[in-house]
Amino acid sequence: MTRDEAANESLIEIKDLSRIYTMGEVNVRALNNVTFEIKRGEFAAIMGKSGSGKSTLLHQLGLLDAPTSGEIIFSGKNISGLSESEKAKFRLSKFGYVFQEYALLPELTAIENVYLPAMALGRKKEEYLKAGTEVLGNVGLGTRLHHRPREMSGGEQQRVAIARALINRPDILFADEPTANLDSDSSKQVIELFQKLNEETGLTILMVTHEPDDIKYVSKVVWLRDGELAEM
Amino acid sequence: MFNNFKLSLFLASKSMMRGNKSTQLLIIFIMSLIFVNLVFIGSIFLGVTEATNKQVINSLYSNVVIEPKKDEKYISDVYSLEQKIKGVPGVVGISSQYVTGATLSYKDKHGTWIVRAINPDDEMKVTTNHNYLIAGNYLSKLDENEILLGKEIAGGYGGDLEYNSLGVKVGDSIDVLFDNGVKKSYRVKGIFDANFIQTNVMAYISRNDMESIVGLEDKASQILVKTQDNGNEDRYIKQFLEMGIKEEIKPWTVYAGMVKNITNSFDMIAMMISAIGLFVAVITIFIIVYTSTISKRKQIGILRAVGIEGSIIIQSYIFQALFIVISGIFIGLIIIFFAIKPWFIEHPLKFPIGLASLLILPEKVSANAVSLIIAALAAGFIPSWLAVRKTIIDTIWGD
Ligand SMILES: Nc1ncnc2c1ncn2[C@@H]1O[C@H](COP(=O)(O)OP(=O)(O)OP(=O)(O)O)[C@@H](O)[C@H]1O
Ligand SMILES: [Mg+2]
Repeated sequence: MTRDEAANESLIEIKDLSRIYTMGEVNVRALNNVTFEIKRGEFAAIMGKSGSGKSTLLHQLGLLDAPTSGEIIFSGKNISGLSESEKAKFRLSKFGYVFQEYALLPELTAIENVYLPAMALGRKKEEYLKAGTEVLGNVGLGTRLHHRPREMSGGEQQRVAIARALINRPDILFADEPTANLDSDSSKQVIELFQKLNEETGLTILMVTHEPDDIKYVSKVVWLRDGELAEM
Repeated sequence: MFNNFKLSLFLASKSMMRGNKSTQLLIIFIMSLIFVNLVFIGSIFLGVTEATNKQVINSLYSNVVIEPKKDEKYISDVYSLEQKIKGVPGVVGISSQYVTGATLSYKDKHGTWIVRAINPDDEMKVTTNHNYLIAGNYLSKLDENEILLGKEIAGGYGGDLEYNSLGVKVGDSIDVLFDNGVKKSYRVKGIFDANFIQTNVMAYISRNDMESIVGLEDKASQILVKTQDNGNEDRYIKQFLEMGIKEEIKPWTVYAGMVKNITNSFDMIAMMISAIGLFVAVITIFIIVYTSTISKRKQIGILRAVGIEGSIIIQSYIFQALFIVISGIFIGLIIIFFAIKPWFIEHPLKFPIGLASLLILPEKVSANAVSLIIAALAAGFIPSWLAVRKTIIDTIWGD
């Protein structure tokens, strides 16, 4: 496969995806027949007003929630029918997640938080120690390996969370408003880190954001309005 | 599988090593107290039961009692019966006795007690009462007109039934009116305190003396048989029956009905107290794990989102619960064997049945430990399972 073909390969694809929340008598159609694809190597943003279904979409793609109808295809394989534990394996080995809340374990140091998913994957100790050190270095925290979360700023903690998402070399990184809790300097660091990862390692990134400024970093924007794709 | 185990152990150990140490020590201390309590209650009751049983054997009935056939007042051909029984391996002593009621009087005081007429040489091989004289001397075979009194009969030695006692000293002369109407004077030769109220209300005279009173020979009201081991009475009784002994043969346990009642009540009480202890242990661990899962709700959700399975998180909490309980048991064992047990050996408890110490049975201690561990498993499992049962979305973002 040449580099061009690789770039054109569809990594993740959704077809006619709907997610309806049932709350008592009321049905909330959070996603309505959404169809699109993300190509390998893309840095895509999902944008739209509050309540338009951005997070819901990300959760379906990231196998954190199950759609009411529709298909999710990853590298040509339908993954919507996997069992819970298969989904967990899939998320552990192929997906990375960064959320608005970084939720690091308070008793673990930065590097321990980071290598936890690698341990879970059954990698050897020297392997995950090396990978953890390396990935924390990549997010600019090479000097903070043994700090506990409470000894770090919000921006630093979020970068630890990013390192945790990257440790198992995922095919795609999902990020839901990763900068919403950060000040503008830290936000800029995070976005530029994403851009660097995307450009230097070819990591595919799908990020929910409502910062219009972020548009200039991404290669593609998916607009949502009331749970449907909106072309702009 | 092994990898999951390693991961949950990692999470558990970090969480304990870097969590709040003083809280953990406190919880471990609570567990050790609960464990000590479980073991202590059971052991003290066992100790009292054991002491009572020993008293019934050592000072009252020995191991096996042979009684007259139904409808007969005495056992006959005692001598040949004794020879037969002596031949059974494991029999270490036989004491044939006459037992009768008698009214004892001294000055204006009198009362009715049981008098056992014994061959002192035989009796010393069967009961231990000769070791518990508090005044005077034990009987000897040829004694006539000499009587040995339990301290409750003699009085003046702090008995529980002083109001009934005669108030006599060694050397005093008392009148004895036997059930068959014969009346004789006796010199108090000795006073004993077997630490057992049922024994301390008896009197002993020599058997030779008695035979002349009742005019009987080679007869007995009961024969006490001492065996070298306790607890195998049924085996000996079977052997006696096989030898063709026609008299009634009973193990000491039939005379210890009172003990059985006490034992049953003790078992009930011990069970209730144990249940409460275990319940407190479950609640304590449950609260610890529950508050931890609540305060770490988002972290747990994110770990699961990242792909770390809920079962690993549950396991890590179970490990923590186990650590707390096992440390508690360990400290509890130290407290029991290095503090409580030596203390009770030094300071046994005084009961009407005598002195009782703790009887700590390894199998009971293990059972207590196992039940506490099972309690911890449940108490660690339930709240963490509740935390992991919710969907990932609810765990991270729900309220
Ligand atoms: N668990 C839920 N139960 C019921 N309704 C929900 C649930 N989660 C989301 N919704 C509804 O689905 C719709 C889409 O929600 P979603 O969280 O995807 O929006 P969003 O675009 O991420 O908004 P925001 O920018 O505020 O984060 C909203 O109307 C929301 O109220
Ligand atoms: Mg959202």
